[in-house]
Amino acid sequence: MVVRDYNDELKYLERIDANSWRIKKGFQPNMNVEGVFYVNSALEKLMFDELRNACRPGMVGGFLPGMKQIANVAALPGIVHRSIGLPDVHSGYGFAIGNMAAFDMNDPLSIVSPGGVGFDINCGVRLLRTNLFEKDVQPVKEQLAQSMFDHIPVGVGSKGIIPMTATNLEEALEMGMDWSLREGYIWAEDKEHCEEYGRMLNADPSKVSMRAKKRGLPQLGTLGAGNHYAEIQVVDEIYDKWAASKMGIEDKGQVCVMIHSGSRGFGHQVATDALVQMEKAMKRDNIETNDRQLACARINSQEGQDYLKAMAAAANFAWVNRSSMTFLSRQAFAKQFHMTPDDLDMHVIYDVSHNIAKVEEHVVDGKQKTLLVHRKGSTRAFPPHHPLIPVDYQLTGQPVLIGGTMGTCSYVLTGTEQGMQQTFGSTCHGAGRALSRAKSRRNLEYTDVLNKLQQQGIAIRVASLKLVMEEAPESYKNVTDVVDTCHAAGISKKCIKLRPIAVIKG
Amino acid sequence: MKNCPALSYCFLHMRNCRSTPCCCLLIRRHRNTYPSLNTSTMSLATAQYEFTDEETQLPPIKYEYLDHTADVQLHAWGDSLQEAFEQCAMAMFAYMTDIEYVDLQEAHKIEAQGDDLESLLFHFLDEFLFLFSCEPFLIARKVKIIEFDSENFRIVAKGYGEKFDLSKHPQGTEVKAITYSNLQVHDKEESHEVFVIIDI
Repeated sequence: MVVRDYNDELKYLERIDANSWRIKKGFQPNMNVEGVFYVNSALEKLMFDELRNACRPGMVGGFLPGMKQIANVAALPGIVHRSIGLPDVHSGYGFAIGNMAAFDMNDPLSIVSPGGVGFDINCGVRLLRTNLFEKDVQPVKEQLAQSMFDHIPVGVGSKGIIPMTATNLEEALEMGMDWSLREGYIWAEDKEHCEEYGRMLNADPSKVSMRAKKRGLPQLGTLGAGNHYAEIQVVDEIYDKWAASKMGIEDKGQVCVMIHSGSRGFGHQVATDALVQMEKAMKRDNIETNDRQLACARINSQEGQDYLKAMAAAANFAWVNRSSMTFLSRQAFAKQFHMTPDDLDMHVIYDVSHNIAKVEEHVVDGKQKTLLVHRKGSTRAFPPHHPLIPVDYQLTGQPVLIGGTMGTCSYVLTGTEQGMQQTFGSTCHGAGRALSRAKSRRNLEYTDVLNKLQQQGIAIRVASLKLVMEEAPESYKNVTDVVDTCHAAGISKKCIKLRPIAVIKG
Repeated sequence: MKNCPALSYCFLHMRNCRSTPCCCLLIRRHRNTYPSLNTSTMSLATAQYEFTDEETQLPPIKYEYLDHTADVQLHAWGDSLQEAFEQCAMAMFAYMTDIEYVDLQEAHKIEAQGDDLESLLFHFLDEFLFLFSCEPFLIARKVKIIEFDSENFRIVAKGYGEKFDLSKHPQGTEVKAITYSNLQVHDKEESHEVFVIIDI
């Protein structure tokens, strides 16, 4: 890392407009393209504080600030357009979290990086609607939360309850949600409302290590811990009535279920294995990066191809995982209300992935190009009429689900044409952390956090008390700031605001 | 497998169904019922595992958790690099549960191989994370390195603890992965310490 004075660093940063900043070449060595990040004035302060902290001399430990990481990504071979930081960007591992970067598939030097996808491959959010309203759910809120908590295995060390064998797992890895459909856990319509229809076709389970499969098997159908959750939410506000009606959201107060989870230990191990492989590939192919964490391999190399196939298998795992929890949530609701999930109209509104790399067609400098788009902590947001979004949303644009954090709001946005041009159809993914976990543990008391949630009328079931502090709303950036920035910058459009009434967490 | 008695309709398959796992099977036992804490008498020596007195000694804590925005940085130290490594693995396990609830009932061996000290530490921790993530689901309270070969970068170590049990062990935070991010190994005359960021 280039070490400069904070004021010297600022010379490389330039404001583009009220909601975005440019990182000029030279901020980090060998930048091929410029960096851009989207922030409003509140989020801006957090970003610059992070940079200022990193400029203190004589630090041991410590970590790279998000801005530096965006710039390091801009130095990777084959990158096109820009390295983009979305409004929820914060320091991550290699890539920043909330970072989008696209690489030209036809450039032989282009790379794929597991760090650009993240450890939790295909971590994402799914939203189910119901035809219930707040008045139906409020009286039984506690029972419903308990029922969801009893149905869905949560937290560290929990094991899945969907019967699985090693053969089942192989099939699930290859087939994604087609497996869930075949086994009867989901409805055929669910697939339609998923990115890639819930199945990446290039998945190859034979490229996945035994180790990953061993870790994955007991964990399929579990929520996990950390920032993962299942929430019962109610519609708090509708900004775009027409788009909302296309999603089956009629009015304020309608009840929805949001599930945020990923590929669990399986994806983590796939990422770990790939990083070890790529370290070797980097030495062999003389790929120079600014940061050892940016382990990568040429897309066309054996390691690159193997990773893409294993990643696709992990993505399928994540969809099966979310589908299993969809099934369990439907069960919990059905039992509580003594109605079938069908009669409760518990359809999937949409399912987004926010940790993934995908091959997509985009227009770069007026020319159509095939790109490998890495989205880490960033959600795909395709505009209306894009061929890859389902028929139901052809006119509204792809629904983008932004999960808030425990006790704060979540949003549904829609993709825009401007976003397609500026960020290759990518937008934010959530609130993004502001406080470190250790700091949250020191500064917050779990009783305070729980009392506050109770005052807000939110039922909570959580497996770990430590996590209550770490995941408290105070530890995160304000999701409303994040979403407003995306809306103001035009990279996606606000549609629905949701407020939680019950939270189930690891 | 038969239909749930409480429900006359199969919710799994909306219409005609082939198989119907009973949804009642899905209900788990009550959680958060922890046994009372008793650290003075560690339950030991099952038929399978006989521990010596030395093995049942619990080491002092020489680790801490440092600030990192998204994840957690483990900082461990010791009188030798070997001890710092051991402490680092124990720090990782202590993050997953309240380690006070873990008894020494079984021991499992791991082997790790690296190209340098950094990758050795990485693989050493990864092996223990793997022990936790699938069979034997080991949560270790004590980690002892048996062989520490800093020339060929090879470690053989033993983890002492027991199978992770939701009815006994409080859930802490899940460790997704070990990262190379800012991984540091300081091995000097006067101080031996390591820094590792784990992905949460």
